[in-house]
Amino acid sequence: MEDYKFLFKVVLVGNAGVGKTCLVRRFTQGLFPPGQGATIGVDFMIKTVEVDGEKVKLQIWDTAGQERFRSITQSYYRSAHALILVYDISCQPTFDCLPDWLREIEEYASSKVLRILVGNKIDREDREIPVHVGEDFASRHNMYFLETSAKEADNVEKLFMKIAEDLMQQARSKDLLRYDKDTANITGKTSVITDSNCCSRLT
Amino acid sequence: MKAASAPSYRMPEPAFTLRTTVSYIEKKRKRRVAKEIVTGCCGCCNALRPRYKRLVDNIFPVNPQDGLVKSNMEKLTFYSLSSPEKLDRIGEYFYQKASRDIYRRRHGFVIIAMEAMDQLLVACHAQTLNLFVESYLKMVQKLLESTEPKLQILATQSFVKFANIEEDTPSYHRRYDFFVSKFSAMCHSNEDRPYMRNQIRLAGIQGLEAVVRKTVSDDLVENIWEPVHMDKIVPSLLFNMQESGFHMKEVGSVEAAPEDELDPPTLAESCLRELVGKASFGHIKAVLKPVLRHFDLHELWCPNQFAVHTFRIIIFSIQAQYSYTVVESLMAHLDENSKSSPEIRTSIADVLSKIIAIAAGESVGPSVLEIINSLLCHLRDSVKNGINQAEEKQYQDALINALGEFANHLPDYQKIEIMMFIMSKIPFPPKVNQTPADNLLQSILLKSLLKVGTKYQTIHFNTTFPVSFLEPLLRMSLAPDPEMRLLVQKILHTLIDRHNNLEKLSKATVLVSDLDLVLEKSSRPDLIFINKHGPVIYDALYTSLQIETNSVENIEAIYTTVSLLCVELASAEVVIDIIQLLLGIQNLAITNTSLSASQAYNLHVLVISVFELICVVFDLPSLQKYANKIIAARRKQDHFLLPEMLSHYPDNHYPNPKEPFVYLEQTAICDILREDGLDPSRLSQTSPYGAGGPGAIAGTSQRHSWSETNARGSVVDIGTTQDVDSESSSPGVQKKLPEEKLTFEHMKRVLTEPPEARKEAEAEKREELNNFFRTATLAEIMQRTKPKHEDLQTKLQEIFKSLSSSEVHRSPTHQKKVEQEIPVYEQNFPEMFAY
Repeated sequence: MEDYKFLFKVVLVGNAGVGKTCLVRRFTQGLFPPGQGATIGVDFMIKTVEVDGEKVKLQIWDTAGQERFRSITQSYYRSAHALILVYDISCQPTFDCLPDWLREIEEYASSKVLRILVGNKIDREDREIPVHVGEDFASRHNMYFLETSAKEADNVEKLFMKIAEDLMQQARSKDLLRYDKDTANITGKTSVITDSNCCSRLT
Repeated sequence: MKAASAPSYRMPEPAFTLRTTVSYIEKKRKRRVAKEIVTGCCGCCNALRPRYKRLVDNIFPVNPQDGLVKSNMEKLTFYSLSSPEKLDRIGEYFYQKASRDIYRRRHGFVIIAMEAMDQLLVACHAQTLNLFVESYLKMVQKLLESTEPKLQILATQSFVKFANIEEDTPSYHRRYDFFVSKFSAMCHSNEDRPYMRNQIRLAGIQGLEAVVRKTVSDDLVENIWEPVHMDKIVPSLLFNMQESGFHMKEVGSVEAAPEDELDPPTLAESCLRELVGKASFGHIKAVLKPVLRHFDLHELWCPNQFAVHTFRIIIFSIQAQYSYTVVESLMAHLDENSKSSPEIRTSIADVLSKIIAIAAGESVGPSVLEIINSLLCHLRDSVKNGINQAEEKQYQDALINALGEFANHLPDYQKIEIMMFIMSKIPFPPKVNQTPADNLLQSILLKSLLKVGTKYQTIHFNTTFPVSFLEPLLRMSLAPDPEMRLLVQKILHTLIDRHNNLEKLSKATVLVSDLDLVLEKSSRPDLIFINKHGPVIYDALYTSLQIETNSVENIEAIYTTVSLLCVELASAEVVIDIIQLLLGIQNLAITNTSLSASQAYNLHVLVISVFELICVVFDLPSLQKYANKIIAARRKQDHFLLPEMLSHYPDNHYPNPKEPFVYLEQTAICDILREDGLDPSRLSQTSPYGAGGPGAIAGTSQRHSWSETNARGSVVDIGTTQDVDSESSSPGVQKKLPEEKLTFEHMKRVLTEPPEARKEAEAEKREELNNFFRTATLAEIMQRTKPKHEDLQTKLQEIFKSLSSSEVHRSPTHQKKVEQEIPVYEQNFPEMFAY
């Protein structure tokens, strides 16, 4: 059963072709879609994970990297709890664009948003951006940093789990990001019902 | 799957028998106890479950293919209607069941659950709906969250149904941002299968439409006009619209599209219409901003068919009183794009010109001038930006077009206002160090004026030409740039011509009767107008003809202007005035040595053509005989004196001033006019052009240049209308003005002097000047003429300034000042210009 105590919105941004969609697919569906086309507009996925015994639902908004969709993608930043900024470690230009992305995030996203820098495609041989460069950039801009490979499923799970944990901690400490107080109550009540119900169905 | 043998487990708890008697709270407590027991013994008995749960469970068939169990559904509906307080629990239970079914991919049951919820929703009374809606929306959201397209579409359809239900209790806490986000995402579906993709996108649009419908009417729920929503909704709709080639088709078929619900672009379009139609003044910007942004990002300005299409939709759907905000926004967008390529700006301006007409009808007051002003500002900026680029020129044309389109749809009185407004924006008089850009700006503003002018239909001249418009226009007609002068004449043409004679009179001809002119007797207000302003106009035309840079087009344009005046303002006085003008022009052609041979010829052609026209228009048979005689003589002796006007004449060919019978003669005309029953006494007097006929002197004529007449004009203005009429209709207007007496006296003296002596003096002077021009270097001539020339200009400027100020104040002290200044100006007039 997937009832949840927390709901967090995660938005992925970054240049076209850095592997945002693949990261999401790997995480939500456990597959690596070969020959993934460019995302149009925004794509939406959901995944419920468990952190400290609590169910956490992640609403993942996978945005198009193409410039022409910028207006629609920006409109998704605002309600985001976490923003994953992705670049391709084998492609210098995608790294060079990061300051522009940060500026955009500053402008459109909430100031309290959790920001994570992700260098994707570490499975590739032709690395152009060394790990420490990415790390430096992340620490300079007060972001988390992680290198991943959607293809090899390296660090993908870790990335989203980390986000879920962090956001949950934040939510617990401030109790502000709590999705809905009622949700928790209902969840508690219904879980009992569900249990009984599932039993009856099994017989 | 379900435990069907429930009855055998009946009543393990006595409390159930008392069910009807115990209170509601008690029931709840008991149920909890019951539940615990069930959980504990893994009881699997339906009978122990609360009634609503059993009712809900019963609507599900064993096999999902069988669909909703109708009779049981009725029971559930009846139950929920009779005890609506249970609705929230029912909803919640449905949600739980559906969540589990989704998780287990038993989509058949999910669909049934959704269907049942839909039915309950419709059946519920409005007051109790709120209880149910919460869980209902959770259910919809749950379905939307699934990756299964079928469920997403189902959820959307259900949501659409929900949106059509009118709720009468506001729901302050209900939020739709997930729906907006998700539906927008669906509009951009990335689905691989084209059919499915279409379906999902369609559902997305329907969903957005439903959200808008649901929220827009209710102020208490979420404000859908927030940018956070509009930035998602609008681009999603546009994205779907642009995907089709629909807009590429010829416009006009916009409405003809069938209401085919299966076509995302069409649906997106109608959704946009609805959205725009519902937008109030405060919200319209929220819609327009993402539209403009979308066009920028998707580079849809160029080519701009889609932009035109979209903006037409917007302007047609928007509440009419706000339509000018669309124009305003586009204009502002043009501002923002001032750095972009000229192509984009041209496209935006083009879009503007295509929709501006629709907005014009609704614009009133300051917004009109604001729009015009903004267009003019763009023109000015464009001129500043680049001068000789073809693209920039296209941009300017597009702007002028927009201006014309806009003006076209305004009421006539506003057109005059606009023309005056544009006039006031034209920098004049030309600066001493005029740059090409200044020149260009002037001509572009004149072009826009012309554009507006062509859309204006003159009825009365006095409304078309208020003094504050006529004066600057005439001043512009003397601009140094021949093209600009041509433009001014064209403006005059379009404003004077009321009977579509312009085409016919565009080329000089003596075969007037073939022209098939449309004539109408002119009204009294028109005659008052021409009496009042005629001298100023004639003088401007005359002076303009003296300018040495005139091309054939310039002279021909002036021919057209004079002819149109003739045709439009047929009256005895006008005849005399125009013949007077013609004689002046003829004299100019004969005596003015600075004119080229072709210019002189052209002037002669102009004179004879208009002369012939007068004869026909006013039906003066004797005069026509005389005209025919001259034409015949010209044909024999020098056919170049007849139309058409050429730009080049054979070398060494120059009109011979000594040739007899070829030129108009004042005395002869006077006699003939008398025969035709007109009073030629004015003609026999000294003309304001100083040249009554070929024999008259040219020396002093130039002094009566146009600024003087202008001064007279403003004097006349001050008097009452009655006065004006009698004054200006009599040729001796000048006599009444003390300051001008001097000139008149002077002229009289000149006239009474023996002609031989005068001619000798004239010849001497001319010789001297010719010598000077022959011997002196260019620099010398320049030096001699230029400072004076500039002096004249600044003086003119001063006079004009004081003139206009005196007009504003209408005070006699100003009046005096003007008059005093005139002699100064006359003194400064360079002698050389007389020739």
